[in-house]
Amino acid sequence: MTEILRVENLIKYFPVHGGFWGREIGRVHAVNDVSFSLKSSETLGIVGESGCGKSTLGRTLLRLYEADSGKVYFKNQNLLDLSKRDLRQMRRDFQMIFQDPNESLNSRQTVESILSEPLEIHGVGDRQSRKEVVKSLLAKVGLPESAGIRYPHEFSGGQRQRIGIARAIALSPSLIVCDEPVSALDVSIQSQVLNLLLKLQSEMQLSYIFIAHNLAVVRHISDRVAVMYLGEIVEITDADSIYSQPLHPYTKALISAVPTPDPSHTTERIVLKGDVPSPFDPPFGCAFHPRCPHAVDQCKREKPVMRDFNGHQVACHLAETL
Amino acid sequence: MKFFKMSPASKRQFARFKSIKRGYWSFVIFMSLILVSVFLELFISERALLVKYENKYYFPTYGHQIPGNVFGLDYEYETNYRELHEKFAGSSDNFVVLPLVPWGPLENDLEARYDQNSKRLYPPFAPEYARKHYLGTDSTGRDILARLFYGFRIAIAFSIFLLFINYFAGIMIGCFMGWLGGRTDLYMQRFIEVLSNIPFLYVVMIVASIVTPTFYSLGFIMAAFGWISMTWYMRTATYREKARDYILAARSIGATDFRIIFKHIIPNSLALILTFIPFSISEAIVSLTSLDFLGYGLPPPTPSWGGLLDEGVRTLSAYWILASVVTAMVIVLILVTFMGEAIREAFDPKRHTTYE
Repeated sequence: MTEILRVENLIKYFPVHGGFWGREIGRVHAVNDVSFSLKSSETLGIVGESGCGKSTLGRTLLRLYEADSGKVYFKNQNLLDLSKRDLRQMRRDFQMIFQDPNESLNSRQTVESILSEPLEIHGVGDRQSRKEVVKSLLAKVGLPESAGIRYPHEFSGGQRQRIGIARAIALSPSLIVCDEPVSALDVSIQSQVLNLLLKLQSEMQLSYIFIAHNLAVVRHISDRVAVMYLGEIVEITDADSIYSQPLHPYTKALISAVPTPDPSHTTERIVLKGDVPSPFDPPFGCAFHPRCPHAVDQCKREKPVMRDFNGHQVACHLAETL
Repeated sequence: MKFFKMSPASKRQFARFKSIKRGYWSFVIFMSLILVSVFLELFISERALLVKYENKYYFPTYGHQIPGNVFGLDYEYETNYRELHEKFAGSSDNFVVLPLVPWGPLENDLEARYDQNSKRLYPPFAPEYARKHYLGTDSTGRDILARLFYGFRIAIAFSIFLLFINYFAGIMIGCFMGWLGGRTDLYMQRFIEVLSNIPFLYVVMIVASIVTPTFYSLGFIMAAFGWISMTWYMRTATYREKARDYILAARSIGATDFRIIFKHIIPNSLALILTFIPFSISEAIVSLTSLDFLGYGLPPPTPSWGGLLDEGVRTLSAYWILASVVTAMVIVLILVTFMGEAIREAFDPKRHTTYE
């Protein structure tokens, strides 16, 4: 499998202004030195608590936010180097699905005009052929042809998300960043939308970056999973081993919090102490050390680097001993 | 067949607007007034609607003047159709159909009139039904009803002209400020604050003392200050809309800034813009009237409400002048206000919010 996306040392911070003159008094490191890679037709799940920078990471990858440093190689082309015009051309190859379909669809456009907009922008076909494409898109995501003349608010949440998905696949991209695509939906609808995403992936050889906070959802869809904490990836490995043998204490705590449907099943719940530290003023050393049950002196002094254990990468000083 | 496809949000808003009876009927009446004023020559004019003379039909309302000798009169200047009407009164073949009010706004009716003591009267003349001066004449014998309606036509045309310039400039500049944000926005705001503190009336007075204002030059002077208020609203609307996910979605499919502004931000701010239109119109009517009243508006003999108001105030004994113009202004401003209230009510962003 070829590599489609390689992210190197990506950093995105948001300046914080304050004081009488409104000067920059600090920075929130939303994405702090993140590196990973993605193969084609692969799904990388990104999990983490809210506020850990998952969504920012997704948006920075697609240059919806401008990164502060780092490199994003998409098909061996650094996206961060592209001019605005070239980037717009490139955008047809990577798309995004948003969390809240109420917000991500323009309520004043019909579904047809929403779906034909990407085609129009990239000059695909003429008016008539675009209509045909819209019809086939609707069929692909399981919506009736009559949906075209209607407006987003006339649909249920799940159907609206299908419209969002149809828009994302309109230009047959090779990468789609799914930013919590099911967390705004009812549980009963979630699996339908996930299965649709899986079906489209096998049909169109899509690569997904799947951002979520629900571990069960991520396990269902992902080939590999990255765990984020305070803007950093702390562990990244294939989906099965992150559940069966998590190495990072934070991942262990997350996994232990997943509810199981079996009432006789008892696992020791790891309850973390304290709150997530402010990303405005992250702790020195390992960002997780104030909450880590195993923290030693080294964790307070040195920032752990990502280490590889047979493809299972983890950023923890104590990975071998725990 | 549907010429105009409305989004369901607009449909809902329109239904709601219709349900507010007062505003809806004000809208209907106001629109008919505008329609009447567009074809005003058919209702109020010194020219006849239709003349039949020697088995030929003439429609003098629009087009070139028809000299009197065409109809067998002994002069070559424009036919006086009221006299022609009287002349043809006896004949069965020839006839003249006059408009409801057969007086033009610039015509002076100086025909001698006498009171019961055979004392000659001078204008202003009180309302006379016999000569079809339904609201009387002003101090130079011009028909007040005609001047009111022609003045209304100019005022409405002026406010619509002003509206277009103001809104175009306001929306563009406001969008620009909101879209770019940051320093551009900051400096533009300060610039606009300085501009908006220049006393508008003084500028108009200075300009009017140098050149005689015309319809367009007055419009542009007023627009030079009028676009400001719209920028504030458009700027905030742009700030609000651009932070929403559908704008991000549009960017992620590769839309240009231009496309995002014109296809997404402006249509979604339309409700806001629409609610201000009636109030802008009434504002423009009032400011044109007050400029005319002060003598800095459109030059005489242009029919204007401000001029009539001025005359009415100076000749209070001819109460019909002041009474007519005040009544007309009150009616029009009430219509516009009712309309504006209903539109604002129907398009209230708090009611039809998309945030839910």
